[in-house]
Amino acid sequence: MSTLLEVKNLKKYFKTPGGMLHAVDDVSFSINRGETLGVVGESGCGKSTLGRTVIHLLPKTSGQIIFDGEDISDVDDHKLKELRRDMQMIFQDPFSSLNPRMSISQIISEPLKIYHVCKNSKELDSRVTALMETVGLALRFRDAYPHELDGGRRQRVGIARALALDPKFIVCDEPVSALDVSIQAQILNLMQDLQKERGLTFIFITHDLSVVKHISDNISVMYLGNMVEKSPKKELFDNPLHPYTKALLSAIPQASIHRKKERILLEGEITSPINPKPGCRFAARCIYAQDRCREAAPPLEEMAPGHFCACYRAKELAQG
Amino acid sequence: MNNTVSFKEYILKTGTASVQEYSAENDNYVRKSQLREIWGRFCKNKIALLGLICLLLLVAMALFADVIAPEGYDNQDLYNKFALPSAEHWFGTDNVGRDIFDRVVHGSRISLTVGMISVSIAAVVGILLGSIAGYYGGRTDNIIMRILDVFMSVPGILLSLSIAAALGPGLFNLMIAVGIGSVPGYARIVRASILSVKEQEYIEAAHCIGCSNARIIFRHVLPNCLAPIIVQATLGVASAILVASSMSFLGLGLEPPIPEWGAMLSVGRPYIRDYWHLVAFPGIAIMITVFSLNVFGDGLRDALDPRLKQ
Ligand SMILES: Nc1ncnc2c1ncn2[C@@H]1O[C@H](COP(=O)(O)OP(=O)(O)O)[C@@H](O)[C@H]1O
Ligand code: SF4
Ligand SMILES: [Mg+2]
Repeated sequence: MSTLLEVKNLKKYFKTPGGMLHAVDDVSFSINRGETLGVVGESGCGKSTLGRTVIHLLPKTSGQIIFDGEDISDVDDHKLKELRRDMQMIFQDPFSSLNPRMSISQIISEPLKIYHVCKNSKELDSRVTALMETVGLALRFRDAYPHELDGGRRQRVGIARALALDPKFIVCDEPVSALDVSIQAQILNLMQDLQKERGLTFIFITHDLSVVKHISDNISVMYLGNMVEKSPKKELFDNPLHPYTKALLSAIPQASIHRKKERILLEGEITSPINPKPGCRFAARCIYAQDRCREAAPPLEEMAPGHFCACYRAKELAQG
Repeated sequence: MNNTVSFKEYILKTGTASVQEYSAENDNYVRKSQLREIWGRFCKNKIALLGLICLLLLVAMALFADVIAPEGYDNQDLYNKFALPSAEHWFGTDNVGRDIFDRVVHGSRISLTVGMISVSIAAVVGILLGSIAGYYGGRTDNIIMRILDVFMSVPGILLSLSIAAALGPGLFNLMIAVGIGSVPGYARIVRASILSVKEQEYIEAAHCIGCSNARIIFRHVLPNCLAPIIVQATLGVASAILVASSMSFLGLGLEPPIPEWGAMLSVGRPYIRDYWHLVAFPGIAIMITVFSLNVFGDGLRDALDPRLKQ
């Protein structure tokens, strides 16, 4: 299992009228080839910004990105265009991620045209047909426009566009959260099949733990720009360590009447990511917070093999 | 916690409708072209349809002016000045005995040409400036928009008048003067719609698949800003015709004997108390043209953007 992507101390700050907004603050992780890293967290915690910064859709503030053994932290336009072939993105909103003035075949063929992948229009045609079949889109939609399709089909178009250049790595930014639950299942299954067939590597962003449970190998939990917990999927669900992760897990409704489970309610507003105070970002809402939590940020430490957590009290809480 | 399964997870796990099943040809999907939809919505607005018919007639009149009025527009008949409308001279004759009907017919060529070309000049320059300002934002945006603000602080007609005065009379200069006066309007509209289109995810998707900036502007941004530009241009032709006529009326546009409608008003003005027909017919011609363009433009706006109507 070789590492495809390694991100070290990535930071992305936005300048806002109120000060520096720390959207992604010192995040590190790595992903193996063919695996999926699920990124979970409330909306506004910087998940999309993280995904976009990694694939150079947003310029980073600082940090290092190593892709396929190569340092791509700083790239020029030429190198970036080359990189785009290998790194793609599937977007959250299937209604705004497709150009309403382009037909489905135009949308899917655009990346092929830009990179001159096909020698003639016949070859282009057959590539588009093959892509539409791969994602399960009926060919009669070739000349349709996005507004004529339902959400699930549009998302399939978005997936076909991302696959067109045969990338190695895809950032999936909440690709199913705008869809009905029954359609979510179809799209998730499609993505898993594609991953198996093509050996794709995913970052799968979502605010919904039940979705990542379905698709990820590893899960990292974000809170206000920080990665607070990172672990293999099973370990995280069986043995969550960070108070925030516990609260998230307790919010999943359970289909069992025998087990009473305490729901941990998160009190208070999410604090502002603009010029954040020192200390643990979660302290304002954490029922276990102590004085030291407000003084310096807890480091992300390995608590069990492969299981990292950034909380001063995680060990003691796990035992007690 | 791990041996229970949430309801949603259950659906996610078992909802394994296969890919092929999903795309089965079992729904009745009817392909309808976008143009046909737009046309259907347009036809619901009867006044706009009337405007379109008037416009088509006007264009036909301009194209076939030589057939409709084969005598041309400059035949003086000094024995027959100020003749009232009659079977021979439908609209009467003017102060040097020229047939007013012939002149109005030939004048449609001038007015439509001036309207369309000055609007094209304004639209091309305005779209270019507005796209650059909206797409690149920041300082570029600031510089362009502040310069245009200066232009906009001068009333449009005054601006056109000063430019015309500087350039001198003549058809081409008139078109430039009228065109430059309305550049800021286009630039603003284009900039505003680009700012809203730029936020859409499909622009980000375009970056992601390696589109160049030029490709993004011309393939993704501008086509989605087209509706407001088309509407502004249609309404712009009307106001350009009005401005051109006003300038000719004031003596800064076209000079006699060119049958520009505004210039004809100017010629007839001294005789307005005794001979109404010298100003009435060119006046009505301007009115009908401007009215049809305006109602057509309004109808087009509603047809292109159905959300506006609701
Ligand atoms: N272009 C931007 N300019 C300024 N702030 C931004 C921008 N994009 C995102 N943000 C801010 O960064 C934070 C993280 O946003 P985002 O990554 O979209 O969160 P998520 O995807 O987890 O919902 C939010 O507080 C958001 O307001
Ligand atoms: S470090 Fe302190 S405040 Fe932060 S999560 Fe742990 S206990 Fe709560
Ligand atoms: Mg997001």
